[in-house]
Amino acid sequence: MNFETASLNRRNFLCGTGVALALPWFETFAAETATPAKTPKRFLSVYHPDGVGLPLKEDPAWKDWSWFPRGGEKDFELTKVLDVLEPLRSEITIYSGLSHPAVRRVHGHSNADQYLTGAATGGHGPYKNSVSVDQVIAEHTGEFTRHASLVMSTNGGIGAPRGSQTQSYNREGRPIPAMNKPKQIFDTLFVTSGKDAAAKLARSKSSLDFLISNTRSLGRQLSKHDQQTLQQYLDAVRDTEVKLAKAQKWIDTPIPEVDASNLHLEADPKEARLYFETMYELIYLAFLSDSTRVSTFQLGRENGEGPHDLLSKAVGLGGAHGLTHAVKKPNGWKNLGTYNRYQAQEFGRFVQKLKDTPEPNGDGNMLDNTFAMHGSASSSFHLSRNYPIISAGGKNLGFRNGRYLKFGSGNEDNQAGAGIVSDAGWRGKIEAEELPLAQLFVTILQRFDVETDTFAGYTGPLERV
Amino acid sequence: MNTLRITILLALGIACPILAAEIDTEPVTLEKAREIGRTKSRLLQESQTAKEPSHVVPKADVAFYQKSIRGVLLKSCLGCHGPKRSEGRLRVDELNPDLLTGPDVNRWREIYNALSNSEMPPEDESNYTLADTDRGRIVDWLSTELNKASIVRRDSSQRSSFRRMTKYEYSYALQDVLGIKFPPPNNLPSETPSEDGFKNSSELLQMSVMQFETYRELAMKALRRAIVIGEQPKPVTYIVSMRDEVPKAMGNKRAKKFNKNEKEYRNNNNRPHLLNRETGEAVHFNTGKINPKPDAVVGDSPEVSPVVLAMPRSNELKMNLDRFLPDDGIMRVRIRAGRSTMKPNEYASLRLIFSAHTSNNANFMNVISQRDIPVTASTDDREFIHFDIPLSDIQRNPFRHLERTFPRRDEFLHIRNVSNAGGRDDPLHVYVDYIEITAPYYEQWPPQSHTNIFIASEKRNDETAYGREVLTKFMRRIWRRPVTSAEVDQLMDLFVKYRPQFATFEEAMMEVLATALATPEFLYLTQKVASDQDDESTLINDVELASRLSFFLWSSVPDDELLQLAEQGKLRSNNVVPRLRSRNSANGVAEPQQATHLKAQVDRMLADSRAQRFSKHFVGQWLGLDGLDNVAHIKDEDLKAAMLGEPVALFEEILKNNGNVMDFIHADYVMLNERLAGHYRIPNVFGPHFRKVALKPNMNRGGVLTGAAVLAMNSDGTDSNPLKRGVWMLERILHDPPPPPPPNVPEVDLTDPKILQMTLKERIADHRNKPACMSCHSRIDPWGIAFENYGALGDYRTQIKKKPVDANSELFNKQKLNGMDGLKRYLLTERQDQFAQAIVHKMTAYALGRSLSFSDRADIDKLTKQFRNKGDRLRDLIHLIVISEIFNSK
Repeated sequence: MNFETASLNRRNFLCGTGVALALPWFETFAAETATPAKTPKRFLSVYHPDGVGLPLKEDPAWKDWSWFPRGGEKDFELTKVLDVLEPLRSEITIYSGLSHPAVRRVHGHSNADQYLTGAATGGHGPYKNSVSVDQVIAEHTGEFTRHASLVMSTNGGIGAPRGSQTQSYNREGRPIPAMNKPKQIFDTLFVTSGKDAAAKLARSKSSLDFLISNTRSLGRQLSKHDQQTLQQYLDAVRDTEVKLAKAQKWIDTPIPEVDASNLHLEADPKEARLYFETMYELIYLAFLSDSTRVSTFQLGRENGEGPHDLLSKAVGLGGAHGLTHAVKKPNGWKNLGTYNRYQAQEFGRFVQKLKDTPEPNGDGNMLDNTFAMHGSASSSFHLSRNYPIISAGGKNLGFRNGRYLKFGSGNEDNQAGAGIVSDAGWRGKIEAEELPLAQLFVTILQRFDVETDTFAGYTGPLERV
Repeated sequence: MNTLRITILLALGIACPILAAEIDTEPVTLEKAREIGRTKSRLLQESQTAKEPSHVVPKADVAFYQKSIRGVLLKSCLGCHGPKRSEGRLRVDELNPDLLTGPDVNRWREIYNALSNSEMPPEDESNYTLADTDRGRIVDWLSTELNKASIVRRDSSQRSSFRRMTKYEYSYALQDVLGIKFPPPNNLPSETPSEDGFKNSSELLQMSVMQFETYRELAMKALRRAIVIGEQPKPVTYIVSMRDEVPKAMGNKRAKKFNKNEKEYRNNNNRPHLLNRETGEAVHFNTGKINPKPDAVVGDSPEVSPVVLAMPRSNELKMNLDRFLPDDGIMRVRIRAGRSTMKPNEYASLRLIFSAHTSNNANFMNVISQRDIPVTASTDDREFIHFDIPLSDIQRNPFRHLERTFPRRDEFLHIRNVSNAGGRDDPLHVYVDYIEITAPYYEQWPPQSHTNIFIASEKRNDETAYGREVLTKFMRRIWRRPVTSAEVDQLMDLFVKYRPQFATFEEAMMEVLATALATPEFLYLTQKVASDQDDESTLINDVELASRLSFFLWSSVPDDELLQLAEQGKLRSNNVVPRLRSRNSANGVAEPQQATHLKAQVDRMLADSRAQRFSKHFVGQWLGLDGLDNVAHIKDEDLKAAMLGEPVALFEEILKNNGNVMDFIHADYVMLNERLAGHYRIPNVFGPHFRKVALKPNMNRGGVLTGAAVLAMNSDGTDSNPLKRGVWMLERILHDPPPPPPPNVPEVDLTDPKILQMTLKERIADHRNKPACMSCHSRIDPWGIAFENYGALGDYRTQIKKKPVDANSELFNKQKLNGMDGLKRYLLTERQDQFAQAIVHKMTAYALGRSLSFSDRADIDKLTKQFRNKGDRLRDLIHLIVISEIFNSK
């Protein structure tokens, strides 16, 4: 007998895999509107650190290697950085003039933490974060799937305050550990057995049975009025029971069978291209099998520590973070642009794949029901403004694509803060007005049927989206 | 009835000459105003002429209404509150005069308030007047009818004190039942405050799945802190002995070396330095890396060393602890420290900060000590002070378990000197010679929290018998009542089921205890219906009374002494509470017989440190101090903390001395610490603790109205907000909340150049003069205008934008208020009854954990009369409430 191990495992189950992958009943509290949507609505956010290339107009590199498109809402022209997305033109939207106001004066390296939360995470001293938009969606969609959300990053874990290695934060603003090993992700999605979870569920079940009988006997000793108050408690216990039953259902439901023979589950960031493709493939499989409807993926951490820095090897370049510092060297802008182009290309491949896959229940293609975004919390060199954001899909959620949406004013040509090359350039004064990115999140939440008008303290959806 | 009418006329008669006199003579002092106000108390007069309680079931006096009231009412009011116009959506012609059973009783109460405060009919409506005799007759009739109605409606009341614990009560309760110093961080959702501002109000305390599941999680986490499994973990201990740091510091070529006995010391002593007090040798030193000492003796007290670290004000020692601190458990930091000088006006205290800098731009730094601990010993008698820090609750370096060395894995502990010391000659330094950091720290093993649950017993070897014993004790503690063996059986069944899944008895039991902590009898304050019901069943039983009392004064469960008295039936003797038969006595002032045990328990409980929770939560909720978190213009955290501390300190001061609650309106003293005194420009207050400071009139403070917290939270960031202040005044002090704004409020048109040019006061007046806004705003704004001498941070001012402050206003009843002094004077002379009634109402609602309704009016009236008769004293009020019928009833 080895009970010690059993109990250790149970604990590991709770802590090790991170709350994001805990069973749905543990994770999702909003069970009131439990009518399953006909077609799943899915959310993905991909984050890349270090921003993009933003040369000045007078720089010869501007023509080809400035990240943002040229032209108007419909007739925009993509530069070489994003031209790989040209075939998907009608499926994407590119945004400018959005950022989170609370950290506009903070060094870009500290800001991966707040890209999806909009919190005032600051640059030094006391630190506090808040819930990320994907987790708010997960609270609403999580009950329909085995996993409420799939949180991934190249570096894994949570990182450090102001050096996050995860994009997802729970209701208390605590980071949700990200998974970074393809094998581990695959096993969690498609292999994990529920033995420990089953034992825990059984215990919870007996505990709830006891509580129900105990509550009933208390109820008999109360006045009519107080019995009604106690009824709320009883309902809460019963709802928990329902959740347990659901969790039990997931344990009993066979795990979707997925053929792993074409997957490179041992891929390591050193094999950049293979690793990158495998991670996207896992998100695709998770969506396809309806194992989850919410996912975040962070490409490494700000300031280029760790595996992410190696991704640029895929296009034959040196460390990714170094590219942002070397823009004034020969081919500097081009190199950075080439790397950003590669990121866009991989994102595009994933988007294309969704587009090419009919929705399992026959309602259009998967892309139409998936809102996928791709972005960073800095544009030019450490500058925490004008986030470079692309979104794709979501037609059935009400998103109209094929557009370049400029928000704010005073920076129509994306030249504010362009051409920064000094490490302190981000401190410079900028007059351009930008809108809070949180307003885009409000729009997204509303399209995911979350009844809210605010996110991170900002009110109202973003117009025109 | 006649007596009452005469009283009111007398009151009006007295008021007029005083008001008239104010025009050309000096206004009375606030002290005098308080005396005058007491002589004018209607409640005191009424209680002098208390009628014998009647046993007749009250009936509505509709006949008198038809004969003598209706005509007058229609004549004076119908113009604005009739079929043609119905201001405030009131039609006096349609009101049902039966207050006992009719639907309009709340409307009548509003009318009663408006008439008795002479707010209606408005002075400027010369067509509608109300003769004093008529007013007296209506007020008189209404007073009687309202009282009767309250008694009749009480018994059919649907309000109940049956409620779950609040978020904060739950944390305290876990802490108290388990005997743990740090309950796990509480992530339960926050409570919605009631209309009175209270968070413990039964009708608003909902239960949801999320709430329930969080309880279960928190209970398990708390049990893990209370219970230990296995052998005592070996602690990691760091020792810093300043003497041992000298060679390395001296060896550092770049470190500045100097001598205390030489002139240059003055130029170098403003940075932390190691100092040999015997030789005077000194060297700058403020950081270092330390490693755990495997052979360290925890709690050691080595010989005092002549070598100290001298820490000037606002400086710190930053220690790199590398990555060896454990993940969980308490870290105890012991610091032997003394003061270099003992000047009485200077203080020094220590604060702990924790940080990590994992890589470029990825860093954090958080204060981890709950409060600064003062250093009081002289340097020759240095004393240990210590901090306990729960390591799992603070932000840690997430990389500390990495095998790689980058990102950086180390963690830093900073010890900071927080002080007010000034001056260059012989400045106050904190001298530290020895620091010990150890974790996990246990005062004893197994800890008390563990042995409280797993008690010593002869039955230890018999798991079933011992399990029953453990459960019986635990359940009594958390259910706050004796438990039956059948109840224990049920949980034992659970234990038997769980036992095979766990290696140890304790682990299996922990799961059972977690379930017990999720039972409604722990989470709720119950009031059971006795099975052998008789006519006394409206009273709660003794153990329920013990819980109600402890949640009132401690925000938590009763302790053993209180519970034991209750179980023995000694908490209240049978004759404490007047029998139901005397319930109809609404005017009775005869004090119920005292229960010495109950009274002694209240005094004991108020003397206990847990009573600080009462001060904090009652004052915070009564005054709505959460509002301070909803404004963003207080940038200085120390100032904000001081603002919050003031009203709580005032409450505690009054409570301690059984002082007069009129001190909340105005006191001739103010509770201050150095930070707040600086803000108020009151000199010679030193140190971070609050103390009583006598006021001079020109200081413009005293009471809660002039406290910076109230003033700042009712501001809008750049300037005062008279509207918010007026509403606050009506809600919190006078308990006369204004109606909510109507749906179609016209926006103030800020594009209108005429409006833009107006001062704030003029703008408000302009808004008020719009017909749609007038009826409400004329009741609100004047109160707030009287606060205009206080800015957005509660600072006193005589000018706004270079114009003199105009804080004069006129109430709806034409009463002129001349600024804050005028407001206080008016409240003290004319509104003492109303304030007394308000504070009785608020305190009773908080004590009962439910909103009061109209049906409680008779009880509140009675309590207020008793309270006023005893001299408006705060501690008396608590005693009166505790022995009152309403507190002892379901």
